[in-house]
Amino acid sequence: MSKKGVRIVAAFLVIMMMAGCGDERILERLGFIESQSFDLLPNGKLRITCSIPIADPQSEQNRKVIAIDAESSKDAKLEFNKKTSLTLVSGQLRNLLISKSVAEQGLWDKFDTFGRDPAISPQVNISIVNGNAGHLLEKDYKQHPPTDKYVNRLLGKEARAHTIPKMTLYEFSRDLLDDGIDSIAPIIKEEEDNITLDGIGLFMESKYVTKIDTEEAIILGFLRGNLQRSAIDVELKKGQQVMFNSLTSKRKVKVEHADTERAKVAIHVHLKGSILEYTGPLKLDNPSNRREIAKTVSEHLTERANKMVKFMQKHQVDSLGIGQYVRNSLSHNEWQSMNWRDVYSKADIKCYVHIKIRNIGKSS
Amino acid sequence: MRNKLSFFHTTIMIYMFQSGVVILSMPHILAYYFGTNGWLAVILISLIVNVNIGFIFLVYRLGKGRSVFEILEQSVSKVILFPLYIALAILWTVLGSLVSKDYVHIFQLFSFPNTPPMLLTVLMGLLALMLLVKGIFVIERAATIFFWLIIWMLLLLFAFSYDFEWVRLTPFVFKEGDNFLLGGLNLLKGFLGYELSLFLFPYSDKRTKLIQAVIIANVMITLVYFITCFIAYGFYSLNQLKGVLYPVIDMMSYIKFPFVQRVENLFYGFFMFTNLFSTVAYVWAAKEACQRVFKKVKPGILAVVLIIIGFSAIAIPDVTGEVREWLAFLGFFEIGVAFILPVLLILVLITQRIMGGAR
Repeated sequence: MSKKGVRIVAAFLVIMMMAGCGDERILERLGFIESQSFDLLPNGKLRITCSIPIADPQSEQNRKVIAIDAESSKDAKLEFNKKTSLTLVSGQLRNLLISKSVAEQGLWDKFDTFGRDPAISPQVNISIVNGNAGHLLEKDYKQHPPTDKYVNRLLGKEARAHTIPKMTLYEFSRDLLDDGIDSIAPIIKEEEDNITLDGIGLFMESKYVTKIDTEEAIILGFLRGNLQRSAIDVELKKGQQVMFNSLTSKRKVKVEHADTERAKVAIHVHLKGSILEYTGPLKLDNPSNRREIAKTVSEHLTERANKMVKFMQKHQVDSLGIGQYVRNSLSHNEWQSMNWRDVYSKADIKCYVHIKIRNIGKSS
Repeated sequence: MRNKLSFFHTTIMIYMFQSGVVILSMPHILAYYFGTNGWLAVILISLIVNVNIGFIFLVYRLGKGRSVFEILEQSVSKVILFPLYIALAILWTVLGSLVSKDYVHIFQLFSFPNTPPMLLTVLMGLLALMLLVKGIFVIERAATIFFWLIIWMLLLLFAFSYDFEWVRLTPFVFKEGDNFLLGGLNLLKGFLGYELSLFLFPYSDKRTKLIQAVIIANVMITLVYFITCFIAYGFYSLNQLKGVLYPVIDMMSYIKFPFVQRVENLFYGFFMFTNLFSTVAYVWAAKEACQRVFKKVKPGILAVVLIIIGFSAIAIPDVTGEVREWLAFLGFFEIGVAFILPVLLILVLITQRIMGGAR
């Protein structure tokens, strides 16, 4: 290319590059919404609170909290913008905190924008708040990191330990839109100086129905899928406790019989873990004692698992996804003509938990 | 330097011609039109494409590697052929330019949403032009470089395997879908690009192993589509897949860091390379056709004129919906061309043989 040609192309390129300046985003003038909470007001409107971290080192506050009343989450962003000098963006949104009263009314129709807005990541955490979600988000917890990060880290850490399910927009909508499983979401609540877990919320379609206590969350975890690096504490009798860590689990769902009216399902869970603590009379270095402990723990966990399944059947929520396996054992026509929720509530579902002791730690 | 295409580079170039942004929405298209286990349709369509490649092979064999233009011009009057060339050139130029605009529209969902899309599209046109003026041998080598810049992204798919569950695949085949025919045609558009190998005949010799290269490129694109769609089906539930327009972009959002998320939007930039080559491929084919009509015009000038025509035409559809409608319409036309042109050429060649034999 001649020199003149190069100059023309270079000039053209510069002009084209400058086109990008029309869409500039200056970091200091942006407000990255990190958490958003939703509460139901007595007049049926939503109180939406958002928390925006402030990066300015000269500012005394480390975040800004804005609350507004709106009909839906769609109206909220425009209203938020009216209350701040920053341009609000949702690309770094991490947490959606939804109060139980909002969840009871159903999540999906209200939150259409979260699925549609390309700026919002499908990896945003969803959690239900027992109590006032706005208040939980607004409050600063002295001994902890800023509330957004506190919630985010708490949920992330607990999900990794499987004490609560990892529940993001992607996972919630995946289970919501699947015809063989119901969604679940962790519940948190505000305490005086802390935020704490308050169980696992069970959903029918997108509506919150009931919850499972935090102590039972691990049972839900291994009945719902395969676990790794988990821990469980089992009280065999009064004063006799055994704690397993490095727990791994494998779940197998066996549909023994299914037609359009009835279903018989067995859930086999195989656990493997190391004993970290045991407060009982037996000596652990004896293999037969170890087998006995494993047997007792297995029976104990089986009982708790069966109780949980009965509880779910009573509320007609298939949070374990048994419907997926029943669906896959039937023909497409049979599945379509079956009212799974009805069949599920009457189905014969049995759990069998088998635990193996991997090791007993350093001492006998 | 050899003045014929090399086997390796040609394979990669055809792969790059074929691949584009369709992959981002392909699992959605499959779920919508084919329903359960729609990923199986990728294999079916790939087989159909292979039959089409078989026809191209016959043209190559019967024509003894002669240019398709020469074959046609030997038997058909130029009065009929030249308008046909011009019509094909217009189809390819507009189609190629539209592919760029489609990319820009998706790009703007994530970045530069308020910049006029035509500005970014013209920038793409400029890049395409830079390749076009250099000719097919440079395009071929550039394709290989860009191929390595993008193919590593396939490894990212394994990051999603943690949330993959077989149970979500279901044992049902093609249930709860909408329209297989329309779905098949939409899917076929994702494979287009191979048919342009018809115009590579004069640039190939025995060592190019052109048809083998086309087949391998098609196997490569089939594998990429197959793996992506299969993983998407185990990652998403069916109805979720029907609702998410660009499931592959959403899958990439899995990659996040404690300090920043949404880095997948950066990855989307890499798709520009594959898209650029789809544009280059079609405008190059258009240029080849025009060259037969305007023999005295320099190839570089023709490329500039075609890019100007193409990018002026695509200024008309200005919202994503309209771009998609145009793309669907012209894409179906191109499918017609891909299947009819080789058959037409075979008929011409057989006639030439019979006539030659009679003589």
